[in-house]
This record gives sequence, C-alpha cells and structure tokens, in this order.
Amino acid sequence: MNASIFIIPVLLFFLIIYATIKKVNCYASFVLGAKKALELCYNLFPYLIAIFFALELFKVSGLVDILSNILSPVLNFFGIPPELSQLLLIRPFSGSGGLSALQDLFIKYGADSYISRCGCVLVGSSETIFYIATIYFSQTKIKRLWYAIPLALVACFVGAIVGCLLCKII
Amino acid sequence: MRKVWFLMIVCSIAFLLFKSPNSVIESMITSSTNAIELLIKLLGIYAIWLGILEIVEQSKLNIVLSNLLSPIIKWLFGDVDKQTKNYISLNLSSNMLGLGNACTPMGIKAMQQLDKNHHSITASHQMIMLLILNATSIQLLPTTVISLRASFNSLEPTNIILPSIIATAVSTLVGVLGVKFMQKLFKGRNKN
Repeated sequence: MNASIFIIPVLLFFLIIYATIKKVNCYASFVLGAKKALELCYNLFPYLIAIFFALELFKVSGLVDILSNILSPVLNFFGIPPELSQLLLIRPFSGSGGLSALQDLFIKYGADSYISRCGCVLVGSSETIFYIATIYFSQTKIKRLWYAIPLALVACFVGAIVGCLLCKII
Repeated sequence: MRKVWFLMIVCSIAFLLFKSPNSVIESMITSSTNAIELLIKLLGIYAIWLGILEIVEQSKLNIVLSNLLSPIIKWLFGDVDKQTKNYISLNLSSNMLGLGNACTPMGIKAMQQLDKNHHSITASHQMIMLLILNATSIQLLPTTVISLRASFNSLEPTNIILPSIIATAVSTLVGVLGVKFMQKLFKGRNKN
C-alpha cells in the first residue's frame, strides 16, 4: 500500500530528467501549461457555483433524509444495506460530502462493521458523476448529454451491488 | 443536468418555505463560499498538472504512451485523430494510477478535442465513453478511504481494497458495454 506514495514523485523525477535529455525547456513549458489553468477555471466557475448551490439547498432542506427513506427498501431489495442510502445519494454530487457521510457511518457503526465496509467500497468504487459530467462538458458546446448520466449511475449502482455482495463473502 | 438542477432547486425551496425560509439565504452564502474555496484549490492544482502535461507533450512522451494504449483506445473509441488519442491515453493512464487531480485537466482537453470534430449540441458516443470511463474510474488504490478508516482505528483498513477494485471493474465494464450497446442501437446518429 505504501508503494502508492512513490508513484507521483518517481514519475515526476524521471519526466523532468527525460525531458531535459530531450532538450526540452522544462521551466518554459511548465509556465506555458500552468497559464491555461486560469482559463479552465474561468469557464468552470459558473458551473461550480450552480452545482454547489443546488446541493446545499438539497442538504439543508432535509430532502436527502426523505429521499433516503424512500430509497431504503429499493436498496434492501438489491442487497445493499439501507443505512447506506444517504451516502449513495450524496456521493454522485460531491466528493467531500461523500466522505463526511462515510465518516458518519464509521462513528455510528464502527469502522470494521459490515455497513462501514460496504460504504468504503461504495466510495472507493464510484465517482462524483454529476460533478465530473459538469466539469468535462463545461469547455464544450454540448448542451444535451443524452444517455451519459443515467448510464453512469446505473453502472456505478451495479458496481455497488457487487461490492456489497463481496463484502459479505470476504 | 438541466432537469436534475431544476428539480433539486424547486423541491428544496418549496420544502424550506415551510420549514425555515431563512436557510435559503444562508445556503446561498455557504455554498458560494465553498465553491470559491474549491475553485481556488483547483486552480492551483490544475495549474501544476497542466504545467507537467505541457512538459510531457513537449518531450513527446504522450505519443509513446498513446502508441502503447492504441489498441485499447481503438476498441473503446473507434477512429479518433492523433491529438485526441494522446489526450485520452494520458487521461486513462493517470486515472488508473489514481491521480484524480491529474486526470481531470487531461480529460477536459480530450473532451474539447472530441468537441472540435463533432458538430452538434448533443454529446457523441465517444464523448459519453470518455465520461463513463472517468465516472466509473478504475482506481487501483482508494487511498483516501483507507486512511480515513485507519484514523478510525480499523483493525484491517486495507481489507476493502479487493472488493473495491472488483466493484469498480464491474461498473466500468457495465458502462463500456452500455455505450457499445447504445452505439449499436443508434448507429446512424453519430454521423450527422
């Protein structure tokens, strides 16, 4: 597990060496590339505000709790512990929100419980779908995502079902 | 996105009108502050990764990488031009390494490149494929989750790695097959 902390430093080290051998001006290239971040964030800004505002209202209004109550029996049917419904609802929108929901599970049920392990797998195997969709398409002229989001949600849901099943066995 | 946003805002506000109308204004302030905070963080980290990306491009390493991944990309995306292929391969490889912050700017570049060759406001199959791959990303090591577990005195914080990898592989597979299926179903649509 500790090997993972070496990935970025080692790659970066060899990249710089390799580029220098190839007679690339690393400093100039880096500056040139970094400059583009401003434009990217400039385009990103309105979308980020929109998604954060909606999510905050959603959380504050208590709709999350109501929806998760509705969702619970459905989850139960698919073999996902109903305690995870809140996590499942927030996870597609926000990474930090998903992590804090996971933390709540740890506090409530303990980090080694079956429920917490399922929660971990859920967070570890899925992504912030709505957020990614917003960011990735923010720099394009695309207005209709067609079947992209439903498919991503279904795919992650199937992954979650399999993950919870595996947690029971392993 | 349009519909989801509309539903979230309207339902939430309708609810809050009865519960506590005050919190609508409070949410405006907290959410905008949080969004700006995240934006500034992202600006910094994206600048670094875009800088590194530029070095990768200048040293032509991206071409080496995209040649390596070429068969996979060809199967997933069909025919794409060289530049797009380069960005996609960078996006996928950083994704697999779990470099979440690195793969986003590269993915956006790939998406822009796909957008250039696509003349419609509806997303193409290739774009959706790229999105699906990122949304169901194969992450080999869920490091944040593991460290969070460890901080809660878990006895075996790493025993979720294997189920996570299998679960994410399944979700990616479902996603990819889903796109392939839709491609078959709407064969003509991509061309116009």
